[in-house]
This record gives sequence, C-alpha cells and structure tokens, in this order.
Amino acid sequence: MATLDLENISKSFGSAKVLHDIDLAIRDKEFVVFVGPSGCGKSTLLRIIAGLEESTAGKIVIGGQDVSGAHPVDRGISMVFQSYALYPHLSVFENIAFPLRVQKMGADDLKARVHRAADILQLTDKLQLKPGQLSGGQRQRVAIGRSIVREPKVFLFDEPLSNLDAALRGDMRVELSQLHRELNATMVYVTHDQVEAMTMADRIVVLNGGRVEQFGTPMELYHHPATKFVAGFIGQPNMNFVPGVVAGVDAAGVAVDLDAGGRLVLPIEADGAAKGDRVEVGMRPEDIRLGEGLSLNVKVIERLGGVTLAYGALGDDTRFCAALDGVAPAREGEPLALSIDPAACHLFNSDGRVMRRKAAPALVA
Amino acid sequence: MMMDRYSLLQKIGIYLAVAIFLGFILLPFVEMFVVSLRPLEHLFSSPYRFWGENFSFDAYSRMWETVPLLGRYIWNSIFISGMVTGLTLIFVIPAAYAFARLEFPFKNGTLGIFLAVNMFTGAVLLIPLYRVLRTLGLLNTYWAMIVPGVAFLIPTGIWLLRSYLEKIPRELEEAAFVDGASRLYTLRRVVLPLAVPGLIVVSVAVFITAYAQQFLFAITFNQVRELQPLPAGLYEFIGYQDVTWNEMMAASLTGVLPVMLIFLFLQKYLVAGLTAGAVKE
Ligand SMILES: Nc1ncnc2c1ncn2[C@@H]1O[C@H](COP(=O)(O)OP(=O)(O)OP(=O)(O)O)[C@@H](O)[C@H]1O
Ligand SMILES: [Mg+2]
Repeated sequence: MATLDLENISKSFGSAKVLHDIDLAIRDKEFVVFVGPSGCGKSTLLRIIAGLEESTAGKIVIGGQDVSGAHPVDRGISMVFQSYALYPHLSVFENIAFPLRVQKMGADDLKARVHRAADILQLTDKLQLKPGQLSGGQRQRVAIGRSIVREPKVFLFDEPLSNLDAALRGDMRVELSQLHRELNATMVYVTHDQVEAMTMADRIVVLNGGRVEQFGTPMELYHHPATKFVAGFIGQPNMNFVPGVVAGVDAAGVAVDLDAGGRLVLPIEADGAAKGDRVEVGMRPEDIRLGEGLSLNVKVIERLGGVTLAYGALGDDTRFCAALDGVAPAREGEPLALSIDPAACHLFNSDGRVMRRKAAPALVA
Repeated sequence: MMMDRYSLLQKIGIYLAVAIFLGFILLPFVEMFVVSLRPLEHLFSSPYRFWGENFSFDAYSRMWETVPLLGRYIWNSIFISGMVTGLTLIFVIPAAYAFARLEFPFKNGTLGIFLAVNMFTGAVLLIPLYRVLRTLGLLNTYWAMIVPGVAFLIPTGIWLLRSYLEKIPRELEEAAFVDGASRLYTLRRVVLPLAVPGLIVVSVAVFITAYAQQFLFAITFNQVRELQPLPAGLYEFIGYQDVTWNEMMAASLTGVLPVMLIFLFLQKYLVAGLTAGAVKE
C-alpha cells in the first residue's frame, strides 16, 4: 500500500514563504498531477516529497509511515528530473543499473532487472549507447528506466516531457499512462501543461502561489472549479469571465445584468449573493453558440478546421473567445451574435469563489 | 556561426596582436635554440650574427659530459613536479568539492584567505619555511622541495577545480542521492569522471607552476647534489673560467622537452566536452 499523505506542509526559503499548509491525501496507485503557473511551488513540493528538500513544517506519510526526514531510498520513492539527469559518461545500461549498483545487487539479478526495464521502455537495442547518442524521447525513457528498476512505491516526475517537441510529448503521454497501468504504482507528476494534467491524471492538484486551490478529478475541475483561478487554468481555450451585477435572486436562480448588455438568469444557488453585488459570469468558449443575446466584436478568427475560434471583445473591453463550428460565418472586424445556455455558465463572486451550480453535467468518475 | 564572423580588418588586427604576443613569449626560446647551436667562441663575437657556418648540435652531446648528473637532474625535476601534482590533487579534490557543493560557516571567508595566500610568493616565506623544514628534519630531502610546493599550490588548485565542479549539473548529484548513493560514491562514480577535463587543467597548471617554483626551494632547502632539479643543476654549467652557454641552453631545452610532449598529447582532453548529453541542451 503506497498511500501518500502530506500533512500541513509549509516551506520557506529565508523569509519567502513558498508553500502554505499543504494538506493532501493521495491514494494507493493513484496518478496525481500537480499543475500551476510557473513559480507556484510545484517542484518545491515534489522535492520535499522526494526528500531533496526539507519542509519547514509538516509531515510526509508514505504507506502509513511517517517518513519526514528519511532518506529518499528509505521513503521508497524514485524521481525523474526535468533535465533527465542522465550520467553522460555511463552507457544506457549503466545509467539504468545505477540504483542497483548502489545497492550492490548481484550481477545476474541486476542484469535481469535492467533488461526488464529496458524491455518495458523499448530500449533493449540501445543499452550500449551513451546518453549523448540518444534522441530526447529516448533519453527521457532512460531516465524513467532508472527510476523503475528500483521498484519504488511512489514515482515522482518533475515536468518530464517539457523538453520534448509537441508530437513526441503526445506519444510519451500515452506511454506514461500505460506505464502507470503496468507498474500499478502511485505516481505524482508535476507539469504546467493542463493538457497533460487533464489527460493523465486520476486527480489533479491545482497550486497557486504555494496554496492548493483545488484537488479533484479532471472532470470535477472542469465542471465544478472551486475558484476563478482554477476555472481559468483548466480548459483550452481559457474560460471567459464576463463582469456583471446581480439583478435579483429567486427560486429559478440568480439574474445577472452583464456590463456588456443583456440579462442572464443562471440556475445557480445564490449562496448569500444579493441584488447589487458585483459578480463575474464564467463562460467556456466551447459552450458558446451562434444565436442571440451576446454581441462579440470579432478581432481575430482562427480556423482550425473542425473548430473556429473567434477572439474579440464583448461590449467595449471584456476579452472574449468563442469556439464555434468549423464553418461558422464569422468575419474579422464584424459583430457576431452569440448565445449561451445559462445552465453552462459559472458564477464567481468578487473574491473569485464559485457559487454552486444547480444543474451541472453528471460527473464521469 | 554569427559569433565567429569578423571583418577582414578585425582579423588582421587579431592576428597581429596574437603575433606580437607570441613573439614576446616565444622569441626567448628561439634565441635559446640558436645559442645552443652556436659554438661557444661565436657567442661573444661582434658583430653578432644570427647564423654561422659551423653551427651544430655538438652541445647536445657534450652537455652530458660537462655535467654528468644532467639526466638525474632532469628526472628529479619531473619527479618533484609530478609528486607535487599528485599530492596537490589528493588535497584539492575533496576541498574543491566541498567549496563547490557544501554549505559551511566561513566558506567565502576561507576562499578569500586562500586567494590572499596566493599573493605571497614563496620567497617571502623562505626563512620561516626553512625553520619548519629543519624542525621536521626534512632539509636535504625530496620532501623539502615537494612539501612547500604542495602547500603553495593547494589554493590555486582549489580555485581552479571549484569553478569547474560548479558547472557540473547539480541534478546529476541529486539523482544519485535519490537513488541512494553516498556523497563519496557520487564523487567517485559521477562527479570525478565528469570532471576529468577540469582535473587535467588543474594538473597541468599545478605541474607547470611546480616545475617553475622548484628552483627557489631547491637552492634554499637542499644541498644534496643528487636530489637537485634541473634549474638548480644548470648552475654546474657555470665554470670557474667561463660559462658554457650553448650547453646550458641545450640542457634547458632538453629538460623541458618531455614535459612539452606530454602537454601536447593532453591538449585534446582539454578541449573535449565530456558533459555532452547530460542534461537538456
Ligand atoms: N533554493 C531556493 N532558494 C530560494 N528560493 C527558491 C528556491 N527554490 C525555489 N525557490 C522559490 O520558490 C518558488 C517556487 O519554486 P518552484 O521551483 O517550486 O516553482 P515551480 O512551480 O516548480 O515553477 P516552474 O513551473 O517554473 O518549474 C519560486 O518563487 C522560487 O523562486
Ligand atoms: Mg519546477
């Protein structure tokens, strides 16, 4: 059982506090992704789990055992670094064998283990090469190979794909998901790429400024973002935020007068909101349709084939993006009439906290 | 590459500067060589002639008779410098690693002191050193020339190697640490193999300096003829009547030759980048 519990982890570098009371319970065999903007403390948190960095306060518990202060090997973790961190003077075989050599494992055992890892990662015919002779994707696989030979309980990845080109990244994403299934291990994966997060994660931790904004499944984050930050971070293109004022609250939901003109009645629990409060309506570009109600001054059109992205402004200055049909009759410089199903809207109060949606799509767990 | 593009004028300027610089450094060697070929009586003839008909390599064979221990002196020079280099490395490697990677109190202060020590030449400290060596009973042994050499070169070595070690990606060591390797194991299996070019640079620098500075220690701390290095041994070419300059120059060049050959051979290691493929480019 390799559960991983972080209890009130805080970290300061000198006077700068970069992690604030992080509390997470990661289940056995779960694939958890940390996402967040650059500098939000993802790597720092991962390094604390690894034992490369000491937390200022808090506890790390792996498999029910308090390992704060323990050596990485005793924690049963292994780590794949963003830069691969391969030993350039050693062959692929020796790179993968390194953790076993440290343990002074017997030659036969060692060979068998390295070959098994190389097999899983399709590196068998590369074992005699030096890392310098490999492509980026192969190097990444060697780094992963080195982390799996030791058969750790928890795998830690720090942006392992960020140095690869887009196509290769897609392939490696699939391979990593497969690997997770094959190894049946707990994995913690750091990235700032929300596509990686959405596609690979069982659950996602969204970090912002050293705090956990939300911890949930990809679909929870997509349909029920807890904060404006999460809503804006998850989903591509990003969610639009349209400012407005609460015009009234009744059984049907919250009526909002948009600054850009028009009134929407949203099926959302008022949650203490009262007439006159400033709010922001969150609208995902993919929920926007051609219709009546919103008028977009189109500035840029991107036709991707299947979808057409229309960028522009609602009213005078609200930046807005709509993802429309591939053949949508949108033209740059011309106004475009759009509509949205009120049930698809999110509503955020002035602190950026979400108000609960009544009618949300059923979650696929 | 854009960076390598110079206009013709710039190129001429650069080559001219290099030529002048090299001229200053190399002309004395050319003169040494010419003198070594010249018969002794030509040396003081005037007007001075750069080339004469009876130039020969005679001096190169006669020098071994004039100074019978010459071979021994050359060997001593190399031996002393080699020992100084080896011992210096033994001290410098762990020290430089500590300065490059560990945090400890007074780290920068200590480094500063090391730099300051570098500014003293051995000459200032000869008398105290003499007393120390006498107390330890090391006078008139090889150690009298080796120990001070090592002591003076450790700071230089630390400064050179530390900056090299700092360039080795920290993540490599962290990876080794996560995989359970101890500091020493990491140093031996990861850091040192990657630091080979740096180690060669340090060895070469230490060897050359040791070769140059042994003269001072030899004439002050050692009276035993058989232990003298070449620069001290060259004194024997100074006779009661006259100095056999041509043989002295021949002997100097011969003494430096083996060292030069080794360095020519090592040069390719100095430029080789061993860290290729370690981390993302
Ligand atoms: N050794 C350190 N000393 C001082 N500050 C540090 C140190 N390491 C990280 N920080 C600070 O901690 C904060 C979080 O850094 P961290 O590397 O965890 O960010 P990150 O989320 O991984 O960002 P990125 O996506 O750019 O990798 C940053 O503000 C950084 O400046
Ligand atoms: Mg990072």
